[in-house]
Amino acid sequence: MSANAAGLSGVDTANRQRRRIAPPVIRGLLWAAIGFLVFNTLVSQVIDRQPYDPFVTRVSATVGWAAAVIGWLLGVGAWEVIVRPFFGHPVEWDIPNDWRRYFMFSTDHKVVGLQYIFTTTGSFLLAGLAAMMMRMELMNAKLWVFTNPGAYLTTVGIHGTVMMFSVGTVALVGGFANYFIPLMMGSNSSAYPRMSGLSHWLLPAGIATVFLSPLLGQWTTGWRAYAPLSGQDPSGIVFYYLGVFAMTTSSLLVAINLTATIIFNRAPGLTWNRLPMFGWGILAVSLLTIIWVPEIQMTFIISLLNLIVPFSLFEQTGSPLTYMESFWLFGHPEVYIIVVPAFALWQEIIPVMGQKTLFARQWGVLGLVFVMLFSGLVWAHHMFTNMRNSEMLPFSFFTEMISIPTGFSYLVVLGTLWGARLKFSTPTLFVLMSMFNFLIGGITGVLLADPVINLQTHDTFFVLSHFHYTVIGSMVFTWLAAAYYWLPKLSGRMYNETLGKLGAIWVFIAFNSAFGQMFFVGLRGMNRWVAVYPQYLQNMNFSISMFAFLLGLGFLFNFVHITWMWNKGKPVGQNPWNGKTLEWFGTPKPGIATFSPLPHVETGFYDYSENTPPTPSPPKRM
Amino acid sequence: MIDILLFAFFWLIATLLGEWGVHAMEARGLYYSAATSQALDGEKAVAFILTMLVPVIAFVVVMLIYTAIRFRSRKSLQFRDNKVFIGIWVLFSIALNILFFVHPSASALEQMFNNEEARLNRHDLIVNVTARQWEWIFSYPQYGIQTAEDSNGNSTLYLPVNQNVRFVLRSYDPYHTYDPNGAVIHDFWIPAFGLKQDIIPGETRLEYVHTNKITSYDVDPMVRVQCAEVCGPGHPFMEAPVHVVSSSDFMKWVQAQRKLEAS
Amino acid sequence: MQEDSSLRRVDPSRRDPHWSATTFFVVLGLVVLISILSLFLKRPISDATAAMTGTTLNEPVTQIEQYDYGFEPHHITWRAGDQVTISLHNRSTTHWHEMMLGRGYDYTPSAFGPIATQFDTDFWNGIHVTFSGANHVDNLCVNKAIAKFIGPMPNIVTGGNFSPTLQPGGSLNMTFTVPNKPGTWHYGCFVQQYVHYMAGMRGTITILPR
Repeated sequence: MSANAAGLSGVDTANRQRRRIAPPVIRGLLWAAIGFLVFNTLVSQVIDRQPYDPFVTRVSATVGWAAAVIGWLLGVGAWEVIVRPFFGHPVEWDIPNDWRRYFMFSTDHKVVGLQYIFTTTGSFLLAGLAAMMMRMELMNAKLWVFTNPGAYLTTVGIHGTVMMFSVGTVALVGGFANYFIPLMMGSNSSAYPRMSGLSHWLLPAGIATVFLSPLLGQWTTGWRAYAPLSGQDPSGIVFYYLGVFAMTTSSLLVAINLTATIIFNRAPGLTWNRLPMFGWGILAVSLLTIIWVPEIQMTFIISLLNLIVPFSLFEQTGSPLTYMESFWLFGHPEVYIIVVPAFALWQEIIPVMGQKTLFARQWGVLGLVFVMLFSGLVWAHHMFTNMRNSEMLPFSFFTEMISIPTGFSYLVVLGTLWGARLKFSTPTLFVLMSMFNFLIGGITGVLLADPVINLQTHDTFFVLSHFHYTVIGSMVFTWLAAAYYWLPKLSGRMYNETLGKLGAIWVFIAFNSAFGQMFFVGLRGMNRWVAVYPQYLQNMNFSISMFAFLLGLGFLFNFVHITWMWNKGKPVGQNPWNGKTLEWFGTPKPGIATFSPLPHVETGFYDYSENTPPTPSPPKRM
Repeated sequence: MIDILLFAFFWLIATLLGEWGVHAMEARGLYYSAATSQALDGEKAVAFILTMLVPVIAFVVVMLIYTAIRFRSRKSLQFRDNKVFIGIWVLFSIALNILFFVHPSASALEQMFNNEEARLNRHDLIVNVTARQWEWIFSYPQYGIQTAEDSNGNSTLYLPVNQNVRFVLRSYDPYHTYDPNGAVIHDFWIPAFGLKQDIIPGETRLEYVHTNKITSYDVDPMVRVQCAEVCGPGHPFMEAPVHVVSSSDFMKWVQAQRKLEAS
Repeated sequence: MQEDSSLRRVDPSRRDPHWSATTFFVVLGLVVLISILSLFLKRPISDATAAMTGTTLNEPVTQIEQYDYGFEPHHITWRAGDQVTISLHNRSTTHWHEMMLGRGYDYTPSAFGPIATQFDTDFWNGIHVTFSGANHVDNLCVNKAIAKFIGPMPNIVTGGNFSPTLQPGGSLNMTFTVPNKPGTWHYGCFVQQYVHYMAGMRGTITILPR
């Protein structure tokens, strides 16, 4: 696909006379609607009629949804790109060289990366809007925005689910890694381009499913869907399971694709010793995803069956704790799926901004890999309030120990910072802020790892603030750092430094003011998942809400700034930061091969010392 | 060298300020309100960890600010390794974590387990706590009280001060026993008591506290039973006031409750 | 890649990939609009529709389904003097539900302010009701109604307003003559510490004068 620009102008003129194809997204929606109607009707009216004959039942919604997603994927282009070629037909899928390419099936890793970036940003804003609604409700101790507590809890669940599975897990991996990992590996394509194209289109399907879950009914469990509550909730939870299944499958496919890309598509000379830090980070995350995502998918499928068949697997007559255990077995590695790419990006951005040799690189790699290995040993610290006493100490031990490899990321960055003539740009600022925020998240994490303290702070706003510090504070801040850092590469244009810094300071102050106070409101007795709460907490909540709105506006400001500069910013050369990793030496344009010929790597990417030529030498072209 | 000294100076200042802040918070009460010895233990653990971590926080924060400002005017100093620094960092982070694991994690937990030893709990006040969607039901088997309620019919919990209390926690619906699978996970939390315990359907859980202060919901809203684990739309309403009273007041209340139940 | 070579040729039998932007944005916009409307305005729209078509009588048999946490339908119209059968069915698989009918509220004080516990005026006072088809009825309180039973006898309790409480999957028919009490009445389910009512299990009945 990458070379389709070659004869483009000729194609364009000839195209004018031919019949246009239907917009693939619209065709996907149509096929999805048809799929849902046909299979839903078949199940609810023919195969599995239920008393009083409802048109949509839990079972029919599940089957209908599966048909709808298949219809959607085929409609956006999988029919031409995957199914028909499988049966021996030639591929008939032309991609126009304009904005249309982002709204159809594409096998170009740059297009897929940008699709992921757009989808993630969109879902971040929508789920952020849900958060704003929650904060609005909490400004008052009584119900006033929502008409009932279930609607509030449904909003909480949608916010958490979308932020977790479509932003946290995806933003740096599906988005930036899909775009930049092949570039950093010196490759023109990811390893499995067609699978990669398919994986993106699962994401909007999953997001839409979760957002439309209230059509089936409320669900009050929050994003963790704890059984047995999930088994007795109204039906909206069905769309939670299904939406999450689509989103996690998307992440899984990305992880498989990127792992294979890092292993098999490295340019000549790009040995494991020279692998960029972001490459190590993404490799670690992808392995985590490949190990743990199938586990949670199975758990959710079992829960879904438990609900729609129904069984009593996790109810009183079954084993309620089994669900929680299976959930957190995935749930904690998930946290590292979110932050490990952020750690890696700190180590990627700071040496470039300081023009300084990366300090103790091997410890940085060790840190990333050991965080990945340890992450499967700490999960039960989410269950100190309900597990057996004998299990507390081992999990407390590993939870405290995981701060050691995490600390290596700090060791590397601080060592690199020492003596560096730091370019104080917006990405730098965001990285430093992100490191501060994760420090707070980590310190409170040490407190939470202590069982006795955990028994008081668990399920309060203290924990809520702790994990928002790790997710927003470090991942989202690093996400913005990456967006500013790579904007020249994505668009060929530079952002406005003043506005960028203003945006960084804005979100930093708003974030710390809002979530910093949440630690204290949690200690004062504010528990989670409540739309109404005792009156004495209202003042603190009101103040938190104000800063939360400021934070929401701050994010909006940054996105508007980035979008604006993407189109109208000052054009820059191809390597404005003097970076040494390979992405700075290609000219990535969607639809065109980046490297021709492939680069040949002869040194590592992080050496800025005197004996190497002062200007970074571009990797020698063969 | 001057950089190291200057940095050390700022680090020291930041550490002292931080320790002063932690100390001030400790004096005010890290948990805001602590009405059991368990809550005091928790506060002590928080204070210890924070006191030990303040230098670490100060190191990182001062380093982030110092390096961002200090070296801007010079050429980058190139080095890729510093065995002493790395060695100290690695050994220190391991040592600190092992210290935290030994104390306060393991030591405080040992104390908590000790509280639960049967031989130490022969004279406990037993309170049977039943969580159903969406209310708390408290009964006192030693005193023959079936459901402790105020005059409005809202559940209420009375405890004598300076007494070991054993909460026996169960989640089921005593009014709809035909529905064995209706129960969900709740969490028994009294914010001022400094600990919480999930209540799992089909299991009996115990929680031990030692009350050490006369207080009540009327003077301190943290002295309340609050469900802390989401349990459906009624979750926020699963709240009950708690009164920790002197033993003579407690006996008066017991008499009044018995009369109320008999009527 | 393999498909590249085929892309360069202009094959007249193949269709133009420059799909219509207008179709795309219009249809996508409509889909988004419908989604938003159905998410946030389902109840207001159905209420408005009910108000416009409010004169349609739900007679002689009014099917009412209870689910978690609501009634279907949540608006009913009867005419005083007509004979009506409420066919009540609990569609939930996990929760029991009741159906009270009345006006005004009785309140209980709580930490969150007064909470409605039941209706103040019981609609059923003095009405002759024939119960039939009782199936999985948790309990039945007839209060001041005059009851007659056909078929299995449900578990009768006393205390509080007239309210049949159905187990999951349960059903019950209640036949009666609509009394001359025109105006707007409310129905709701107050079980599980009144939370069902708070969670939205409520509806209105319009009784037209004869």
